Amino acid sequence: MLEITQLATSYGKIEALRGVSLSAKAGEVTCLLGPNGAGKSTLMLTLSGILKPQHGSVKFEGEELIGKTPAEIVSRGMALVPENRLVFPALTVRENLMAGAYRRRDTNGIRSDIDAMFHRFSRLKEREAQLAGTLSGGEQQMLAVARALMSRPRLLLMDEPSVGLAPLVVAEIFFIIQQLHSEGVSIFLVEQNAHMAMKVAQHFYLMEQGSVSFSGNSGELAEDDLIQRAYLGQQRKT
Amino acid sequence: MLELLQLLVDGLLDGGVYALLGLGLSLTFGCLKRLNLAYGATAMLAAYIGVWCHLRYEASIAVVAIIIVVAATFIGWYVEQLCFSRSDDPGFQSAVGAQDRLFMTDNGEMVALASSFAIWMQLEQLAVNLLPRHLNPFPSMPIESSWMIGGIAIRQDRLLLTLLAAVISTGISLWLLHTRAGLSWRAASDHRTAAYLVGIPVVQLQTIGFILASALSGIASFAVLSLDGQVTPMFGMWVLFKGLVAAMLGGLGSMLGVLRGGLLLGVVESFSQSLLGAQGREFATYALLLLVLILPRHSDSGRRASWGIRI
Repeated sequence: MLEITQLATSYGKIEALRGVSLSAKAGEVTCLLGPNGAGKSTLMLTLSGILKPQHGSVKFEGEELIGKTPAEIVSRGMALVPENRLVFPALTVRENLMAGAYRRRDTNGIRSDIDAMFHRFSRLKEREAQLAGTLSGGEQQMLAVARALMSRPRLLLMDEPSVGLAPLVVAEIFFIIQQLHSEGVSIFLVEQNAHMAMKVAQHFYLMEQGSVSFSGNSGELAEDDLIQRAYLGQQRKT
Repeated sequence: MLELLQLLVDGLLDGGVYALLGLGLSLTFGCLKRLNLAYGATAMLAAYIGVWCHLRYEASIAVVAIIIVVAATFIGWYVEQLCFSRSDDPGFQSAVGAQDRLFMTDNGEMVALASSFAIWMQLEQLAVNLLPRHLNPFPSMPIESSWMIGGIAIRQDRLLLTLLAAVISTGISLWLLHTRAGLSWRAASDHRTAAYLVGIPVVQLQTIGFILASALSGIASFAVLSLDGQVTPMFGMWVLFKGLVAAMLGGLGSMLGVLRGGLLLGVVESFSQSLLGAQGREFATYALLLLVLILPRHSDSGRRASWGIRI
């Protein structure tokens, strides 16, 4: 579904991605692990068309995405739930959802999708007319997911949806990821929380210093020595 | 008592004019979060082009109106391309990170401010070269008469301008609140990166907003000048100062705020003029501005402290 080859992105002289190649299969949850500063968020922003790569290719359902605007990429069925959520703080919850459907023209479909989001995220329904900037971190994360879903993506990119949230809220987020997966949405997830990610994802990549250093399924991930120590902690050995 | 009431009415009606001048400035700031110092000069050059066509080709007042609005639109486009066009990387905001941004000076802001100042001078000089005389006649539709209501005189020309300001600012507000395009405008002004992510063409919207604001400066300057019947090289400066004070009093970026700000400015001017004379009026105006800038800002909803475009 998503095929990334030799992707390289720099901020001025700093190379954030140095030839990243990986792929995400349709119907799967693919998880990208890696420490801070590995280039995970840079990869996500490059995929969404926000950052322009130096070279490399990104194919989504066979079509090249490099050179396309963020708007064209959203229209093609790929949406990002960005790091730090980035909701529109001065717009209401409902307006945030409507903005998420900006590229769609079917007014009735949008309305029924908003209702569906309120059904799925009942806490957002209670806060419908509230400004998004006044929501709690967990609620903002829900809103960011709902806003991305409003574009009806076939592939949902999620950049560290659990960061900075209370354990209960993290569990809720991962429950939603599982739910979306079972409904047929493909997901490309960036996470630091490897334990939680192992419960939902089928395939894993590890990224370090701008390139991919491991690829495998959850079994292979648990076997790998380095990953054991770095991401899963010692308690799994005992 | 009647005198005080008359002062109040005069102040409110003058304030409507200031609001009309401030609308475009506030709209630009709301869209771009950049102050356009060339705003008054844009209005002035457009007006001068209109007057020039009137003197040279005896263009009728309706034609002059069209020429001024069209000229203001094109000048606005020129200013935008030169000073405000932001081809910056849309990922910049999120890539640099929220914390870093707090400590970084936004270079673009300084560049836009300084270059729009330079363009102000350039446009004003162009206008003066076009019509070197100090005082130029403007095709007028003089409405000299006033209504007398209970001993209070209401100048019809000022009332017309105040109504125009009210209609335009309410119209823009309703449009921002209730249309899809209005929503995308607010979203783009609220968070650039997020707006890109949902597929809003941020840069195009900002360019259109800027040009529309410049067209507004054309409408405002035609309305004001056609009632005054003359234009001088001081016009650009006057538009910028009065408009800026009105927009700042109301909270830059706010569409109904500029109406309130303009009316407040008009009333303060009117009372201080009568109590303290002409110099006292200027003093009071800037004291008021200082006060508003120093006092902690709490905006309409109490918690919406965004600098973006809003109602």
